[in-house]
Formats: sequence, structure tokens, C-alpha cells
Amino acid sequence: MRSRRFRDRAGRDRKAGRCSARRDGSDGDGGRVTDPRVTGAARYAIDSELPGMLHARIVRSPYPHARVVRVDASSIPPGTVALVPDDVRELGRYGVQIRDQTVLALDRALHVGDPVAAVAAPTARDAEEAAALVEVDYEELPAVADVLEAVAPGAPLVHDEHVLSSGGAAYFGLRPQPGTNVCHRFRIRHGDVDAGFAEADVVVQDVFRTAGAQHAHMEPHACLASWEGETLHVRTGTQTPFNLREELAQVFGLEQERVRVVAPPMGGSFGAKTFLRAEAIAAALARKAGRPVKLVIPRSEEWLTLNRHPAVIELAIGARADGVLLAKRVACYADTGAYADCGPGVAQKMGFAAPGPYRIPNVAVDAYCVYTNTPPNGAFRGYGQMQSTWASERAMDMLADRLGLDPLELRLRNLLRDGDRYCTGETMHDVHFAECLEAAAEAIGWRDGRRGKGLAVMLKGMQTPSRASVAIEAGTDGGYVLRCATTEMGQGARAALTRLAAELLEVEPARVRFPDPDTGLVPYDTRTTSSRSTYMMGRALAEAVRDLRANGGRRGYGEIANPGGLDPDTGQGVASTHWHQGAAAAEVRVDEETGKVEVVRLHAAIYAGRVVDRASAELQNEGSMIMGLGTALFEEVVLADGAVANANLSDYAVPSFADLPGRLTHELLERDGAEIHGLGETALPPVPPAIGNAAGSLGVRATELPLTPERVLAALEERP
Amino acid sequence: MTGPEWLAPESLEEALALKAGWGEDATVVAGGTFVGLLLNQRLLAPAALLSLRDVPGLGAIGVEGGQLRLGALVTHRAVERSAVVRDGWPALAGTFRLVASPRVRNQATVGGVLADADHASDPPSTFTALGASCVVRSVRGERVVPVSELITGFYATSLAPDELVVEVRVPGGPHRAVYRKFRSRSHEDRPCVGVAACRRDGELRVVVGAVAERPQWFPELCDPAAAPAEIARAYAAAIDPISDVSGSSAYRKRVIEVEVRRALEALS
Amino acid sequence: MRVRFELNGEPVEVEARADEVLTETLGRLGFAGVRETCGIGVCGACTVLVDGETASGCLFLAPLAAGRAVTTVEGLGGDDPVQRAFVETHAFQCGYCTPGMVLAARRLLEENLRPSEEEVRLGLAGNLCRCGCYVKIVEAVLLAAGREEQWTS
Repeated sequence: MRSRRFRDRAGRDRKAGRCSARRDGSDGDGGRVTDPRVTGAARYAIDSELPGMLHARIVRSPYPHARVVRVDASSIPPGTVALVPDDVRELGRYGVQIRDQTVLALDRALHVGDPVAAVAAPTARDAEEAAALVEVDYEELPAVADVLEAVAPGAPLVHDEHVLSSGGAAYFGLRPQPGTNVCHRFRIRHGDVDAGFAEADVVVQDVFRTAGAQHAHMEPHACLASWEGETLHVRTGTQTPFNLREELAQVFGLEQERVRVVAPPMGGSFGAKTFLRAEAIAAALARKAGRPVKLVIPRSEEWLTLNRHPAVIELAIGARADGVLLAKRVACYADTGAYADCGPGVAQKMGFAAPGPYRIPNVAVDAYCVYTNTPPNGAFRGYGQMQSTWASERAMDMLADRLGLDPLELRLRNLLRDGDRYCTGETMHDVHFAECLEAAAEAIGWRDGRRGKGLAVMLKGMQTPSRASVAIEAGTDGGYVLRCATTEMGQGARAALTRLAAELLEVEPARVRFPDPDTGLVPYDTRTTSSRSTYMMGRALAEAVRDLRANGGRRGYGEIANPGGLDPDTGQGVASTHWHQGAAAAEVRVDEETGKVEVVRLHAAIYAGRVVDRASAELQNEGSMIMGLGTALFEEVVLADGAVANANLSDYAVPSFADLPGRLTHELLERDGAEIHGLGETALPPVPPAIGNAAGSLGVRATELPLTPERVLAALEERP
Repeated sequence: MTGPEWLAPESLEEALALKAGWGEDATVVAGGTFVGLLLNQRLLAPAALLSLRDVPGLGAIGVEGGQLRLGALVTHRAVERSAVVRDGWPALAGTFRLVASPRVRNQATVGGVLADADHASDPPSTFTALGASCVVRSVRGERVVPVSELITGFYATSLAPDELVVEVRVPGGPHRAVYRKFRSRSHEDRPCVGVAACRRDGELRVVVGAVAERPQWFPELCDPAAAPAEIARAYAAAIDPISDVSGSSAYRKRVIEVEVRRALEALS
Repeated sequence: MRVRFELNGEPVEVEARADEVLTETLGRLGFAGVRETCGIGVCGACTVLVDGETASGCLFLAPLAAGRAVTTVEGLGGDDPVQRAFVETHAFQCGYCTPGMVLAARRLLEENLRPSEEEVRLGLAGNLCRCGCYVKIVEAVLLAAGREEQWTS
């Protein structure tokens, strides 16, 4: 198998000479650069405008749990429109997996930041001032902010009932637990864990924690809603145009064709711009005002809109003295905040990634999606698999320590191989965990000395089941137009799919146009998440080109589905039609007096199968690794009485240039004839445990993320 | 279009008269970064903004009688790059270089950073350790305030409502000084602990910033003959640090001890 | 109040509130590349040049621009060596931070024609890129630095 290394310094690959990802700087007329990203010409969802549009601002609950007694918007100035609970009481409830949301909080506000009213005014400044004039009376209620407290008997209930969604994003059997704050429970039962533990020579058991995080996409959430008669038009930054269309149709009681969602490019998203965010509020205001309404979420309110699931993971793993794994029991508690959103799916993925890429004959996993009175948590790059990989890979190192084995050897002894069955019962194919891990180990000189070094390897599923369809139309000018729902958030999907289409159609990429997805014009795609688009949409494109060639060359349609799914009670079935696989290695120094961790070296070895657009692939790896670094060392949504204490980009720290490890490198493992494997997220989950394991080799027994200096000092103090 | 009135005096006398007249109803704008932030975040809604931009004579860096004199409108960037400051007061130039980002340093001023009294600012600690003073003017006259007496609390100073900082003076003569900035999270984080230390004429000053409402200086703990570890321990015991997202009070105490010791070791 | 300044080489006069910041003023003039993002001057996405020096547009009070020369990325014209280097190395993903990044990189190179990798990392640390393009941006800046002959202006 061919493996290519991409070094950090100037991207130069010593073996291949000049970096093959370089492109022509003068791509425009007269030698000028025309890429809109460097000329300032790029336009995003936030730039959407319509004549006569009003600007909206949301009024939010300052309490984590309170009865909304009175909403009085009578003081707002003329020319301003208010949306109050009575305006939306008759609208449909929504929620892609559990229907637990209303357009505004009706009876009770369930988290700090829960929308209770909204205003629209001629300018954003006017809207801000008008929002401050809306008076709301609340009656505070007991709130629960901690996930373990929320599952304890007698905890206050965030929701009294759990109504299941029947929409397209509710793609698995949901198991809400009535009378509790558990809105979904996923289980894997494989073998007999009790017997397995009884046979084990060594059992390691611990509790791992990961903090919430904020996507901190540079462009805020932004949408523009307008009505044309009974048809709702929405321009919004979204990764999920069809799911959003379905949700809006559900809210407004419309047929889906009466809702048109257009998805312009986004200035980053990382999972935040998914499903229904503020679009229903904007749409309801637009209907009431009789004018288009634009809603941009102010930066500080982003922390009240959507974050990443904090998790508590209780894990026990047992092995024979020779390192063969015998049993693993994991309980994952994913804190989904006040509204489920796609939390059940996140909890499920957290659960089925928890066993790790290993052969384990006896596995029991219980993953819970739990309500708390905190801002909602949802999709975040890695989708639950960062949290369980942290626990799983830290535990492997703890086990290696107890067994007196090299952490690399312990893993190699147990890694899944082609043809092995995973604990879900599915057969693994195209398996390269060992190669990824070996490559990562070699990159940091593992065999020259392990002190200060750590490894991690992980498996991550791709959205299963899902469906991608695409249409291609020939233009009059010899070019083609792609009718494709894949959205652009910086990952380069548009460029990759354009290039793929051009290759298939045997034309120059400049002859293929890829307009902003418009649900009125493009065929269905599940959504742009889960690192699935280049792969799934790429296959659909191949079908479409075949169709186009077979039918006169003017029009072609292609559709691909990847069936599968898991039984939520046993975890058996097909979790993923193919697996994202990667490993990371880190070398760190720890200042033992301050606890500060310095990452000297970081490497990721990611299985790509087949790389379509090399520059995009490298950028996705680098971006994922850097985001992983933030998660590992300092990213944390800090809550105080249910409110976010660090809701700005100074108090919430994201990685800067100066936080780059001394050396950051990565490689993409490819194989001739392999399927395209998505790369959007894979290099993120293994980075925190690689760093944690490196610190572990220096005596820092870390179980909680982020690995702040304070936590490191505390761990050093507990060194025997 | 409403909003506050914009006052743009073109002489110091005019500026002082306006300050006296408006008092606290007018917010002074020097570089404007801090005020710009407060206004943009709607944390401030003054009746007027009093801009010092066009007041001459406040932007000079000079040495007089061995003493460094920095006009209140001198930018952070100017201090950072000034050959005069780098030669004579390298720790000061080094401190200013560590503040925020080049963008902020291009705009923010020497007078502004002191008058803002942001507890996490770097320069106040170094100024205090160097024994600097502010020249403060009003329509009533002029007085000189040691920087150590200027900042009284979170975003609070001992300035009267009609006073403006016009200059900062730093004593000259041989000395050794150092400033250390400890960040517990990203490189761009506000400091968790800042330590400035200066040895001059057999005297030692240690000042810890970012841990309390004002820079922490305990002259009685600064025995120039004592061992660094001893002074560090004493400082850690004497300070009751704040808790915030960059660190708890207990953690800051630990780091104060380490960073004070390291600063003193760098001075010997 | 009326504020008169130079914008990308052309004189402009705008009506602005005294407490308005440049992101708002320039946004009204159609310069969408100056993007308020964090609102507190830490991310650099709203970077503009004022008299050739970088400034955060979200902290820069409009009246303070009076009589000064403001440059946005649109003012670079597209044949700038830094812009070119960014395109060649593909030093962006979503592109939202890129206008500010390009101006910051230009300024860094104007002050230091031959920076080391470390100097580039530290010099640009005040510009955040959440997509994580830092490695390629450093490459772009070093590439542009190597084209010294294009810097005589």
C-alpha cells in the first residue's frame, strides 16, 4: 500500500519534491488572482439581502428553568414588529429526533438563552434596542445542570413527555425513558461481559469526562426568511437543507414543496448550522410583518444556541495477562441540554464507537442522551466519537500500564483486521487501523523511546443509513450544471465534487457549475455531515453521468443509498457501511510546576482510501488536528448556574497560530482502487487521547478534558 | 442617527475645560480600543465622547534628566519599537510587546492602558515595578501620582472626574527588570498571572498582576537579600487571587509562587 | 456627524454616529470583507489598515478615521504577492478570516521581509482561523516573503 507523508514545513514532501497541492496563483484575467476568498468578494449566508427586509433580535430567558408568566411587547416603537408566545402557540412542535421544541418557549423556558420573544426592526441596532423594551415576567423553577444529577432519581424533569419525530433525521429506533430525563438509550450487548470480566487477569475501571465546546465558526448563524404567498423562502447557512425544509414544513403546517431552502456558502460550521436553529423565528416574524426578516445571531448568543455534548463515561476493560482483551463495559452519559436536537444520534454514535477498533468478545455499552437545563447541544465535528475515543484510548494506556505492556503492542495485539466482526455483528472490511497506528508511532519515533509520547487510534462511523441523489444538466454552452444539495462550509466539497464531475464528464472543471443548493431545484440528499459527501455524492455523480450518457447527454440523475442501521436495544446490525479510521501520536513536555502542557510534536495518520482534492484533504486533516488540540488543552464551555460564563472569543479560548505544536505533520494513507473515505472529522478524535496518553507517560493520569494546567497539577499531585 | 456627541479638542487647555465641564458624562477616547469595545458591546452609553486624538504634545517619547517620558497618547507599538525605550528600559518595551495583538498595540495608548485599569493588563505591573509616575492635569493644575497609587480597583482609578493622564515618567539609571506573562490556556489568552520585578540601587520591587483588582506590590516582602523562593512563597501567601476561566484562586496561588521565583531567578 | 477619510485611495464622506465602529460604517458602504465576527477585537477577521497599520474594524470608532487612509482587502486589487501566495498554497477553507489574514500578513512582511517560521506564527497570532489553516498560511507567508522583488512599493 502506498503511503504519502505531508510534512508541516511548507507542505513539502521530501519524497515527491514540491508539494503537489500547489496551484496556479494567477487564475484570473491579466494575472490577477480572482479567488473571492482573497479578494473580499466572497459572499456567505450572512450577506443575504432582500429589499425592505427587517432585522431580527431574539429575547431570551435569563433563567435556566422558569415559567414564562407574562410577555409584554407593548413598549416597542412603531415600525417594529414583535413575536410573542401567542403568535406561535398554534405552530407545530419540532425537533429532528424528539419533537420537544416550540418556536418560542410557551409555558416554560428551559435554559438560559431559551427564546421567549423576538422583534424585527428596520436596522440591527433598532432591533437590539427594541428587544430590550420587551418585558417578560418569570417564575423560577428548580433546574438541573449536571448530567449525572439529571439521571439521578428525583431529578426535576426538563420535559414531561417525549414525543418521537417521524422525520428523515430520526433514522433509528428511539428509546426515550418515560418519567426521566433520558430521551434516548442505546445499548450494545455482545457476548457475556460478566463472564468476560471474571476471566480477566486485569481490570481497569475509571470515569472519564469531556467538557462542552463551542464550534466558534467565524461567520455567525444567519438566515433570511420571506414569504411569497403561502410559500416560505429561507436563505440560511445550513449543512442540512432537506432536514430543515422538513422541520419548517412541520412547524408551519405546510407541504414540504411549499418551503424552499437555499444554502449559500458558510463561513465555517463544524456541525453548528444544522437542522432548525433560528429560521422558524425569522419565518414567523416575516409572516407577521409581511416583510422579509433577517436574523443574525450575535456572537455571545452563539453559546446559547448550540454547543458540543459534555459527557461522562464510565468504563471498565478487562484483559488477560498477555494483553488479549476479554471484556468491556461502557456507560456514556451525553448531556444534550434542554432540547434533544440530534443528541440521540450523537449518543448512539458515542456508544458504538466506545468499544474502539478492537476485537473484544464481550461488550456491553449503554449510551444515554440526557436532558439538562442548559443550552442545547448538538452536532459537533466528531459527533460523539471524540468523547468515547478519549475514554477508550486513555483506558487502553491505563491497561497497558497495569499489564506492563507497551501501549502500541497492546493495541496491535487487539486491533480489528479485515474480516473480523465488530461488536455490532457487522463484518469489517477495508480495515487499516494497524497501518494508521504504526505510521503514527513511527512518525514520533515511538521505538526510540516512549517517555513523553502518546498514541491513540480510533474508528468512527459514517452516517448509515443515508441517501444521496444528484442531477446533472447540460448547459447550452457545452458546460454542465450540478443540481446538488451538498453544502459548502469551507471543507471544499463543492470543489471536490466539481472536480469529480468534470473528470467523469471529461471536461475542464471550469465548465461545471455548482450553484448554491436550493431544495426547490436539487434532489434529495440526507445532509452534509458525517464526512460523507465526497464519498456518497461522488458515487451518486458517477451514476448521474452514466445516466446522462445513456440518455442523450442532456440530463442525468443518480441516486445512491447506503442501507444499514442498528437495533437500539442490542446494538446489532450495520453501524456504518464504511469506517473512518485514523491514529494520532503526540510528544509533549509538561512543566511540573505550573502544569502547562507543551505539545512538541503532533502527527496524524488517516486512512483516506482515495484522495480527490489533495489541498482540501490536507486542510481538513490540519484543521481537525488543530481543533483536537483546542479540545485537548483549553476549550471548555464554562457554566455557572446554567449560564455560560465564557460566552465570547476571549474568555473561550480557541487555538491560534502560536498554539501550533512545534511540529505538526500528518499523512493520508491511500490504496489503489479504494473507496473515497471522508476526511472532515477523522483527525480530531484521536488527538486529545494521544496528548493525554503522552502526558500519562510522564505521570499525569488524566481522565478529564480539557487537560488544563490546573488539572495536570492535580494529577501530578496524585502520582504515587 | 443619534448617539453621543463627539468632542474633538485641539489643545490640552480645551480638552481639560471640556473634561471639567462634562465630568463623567463624557468618556475619554485615547487610542479608543477599550472604549470602542465597550461601545460596540453596548456596555457604555455616554452622552459624549471626548477624543484626545488632535491634542498636540501628548505623543512624544523622550528622555529628560535621565528619566523616560512617555506622552499619554504614545501607542503600545511605539513603545515596543522605540530604540530609546529598548536601550534604557528593555523590560518595558518587552512588556508592551506582549500586549494583545499588533492591531490593539497600533491603537492603544500608554495613558489609556493606565486609565482603563483593566486588572489583566500587562503594562501597569511593569510601570509599578519600575517606579513610574503619571503626570495628571486638570483645570485646577497638575499633580504627579505614582502608578502604584493610580489603580484602585477593577476599572477604577484615583483620578478625579476632571483629570486626564498626560504623561508617564519612568526613572532612569541602571537597573535590571523583567516581566513574565503566564497564560494558562491559548497563547492569545489574557494572562492568568503576570509578574514584574526590578532591582535598582539595592532595592527590589516585585509586582504581580492579573490576579486581583489591582497590581499587587508588597514592599515589606521585597527584601533584596532574600532568596527568590522565599519572596515567592511570601507573595503567594499574601495574595488572595481571583477565580476566573483562566484559573481558580488556588491555582493562581500556586502559579504566583512559581512565576515570582522564576522572575527573581531571571534577575540574578 | 460627517466623517471624511480616504478609503482604498478614494476620498469618502459618510454620515456616522460618534459611537459607531468601522465595521458598521464600512459595511454600509458595501465592504463586506470587513466582517465583525467576535466584536471584541481578538479574532482579526475585521482587520483593516489605517495609515498602513493594522487595526480592528470592530473597535475603531468611525470619527477616529477622519483624515486618515483606510485600506480594506478590496483595495489590494488582486495582484498583490500575498494574495497570490495564499491562492497558490490554498491557505484558506471557508475564507471568512482570509481578508483580515491577508492584510495582517502584508503588514508583517512590510515590517520584516524575511521572517522565520516562528516569527510568522507569533506575528499572526492575533488572527484566528477556526478552520485551522495555520500551517498553509505560514507556508503562504514564507512563499510571499521569498518574492522580495515584488515588495518594493
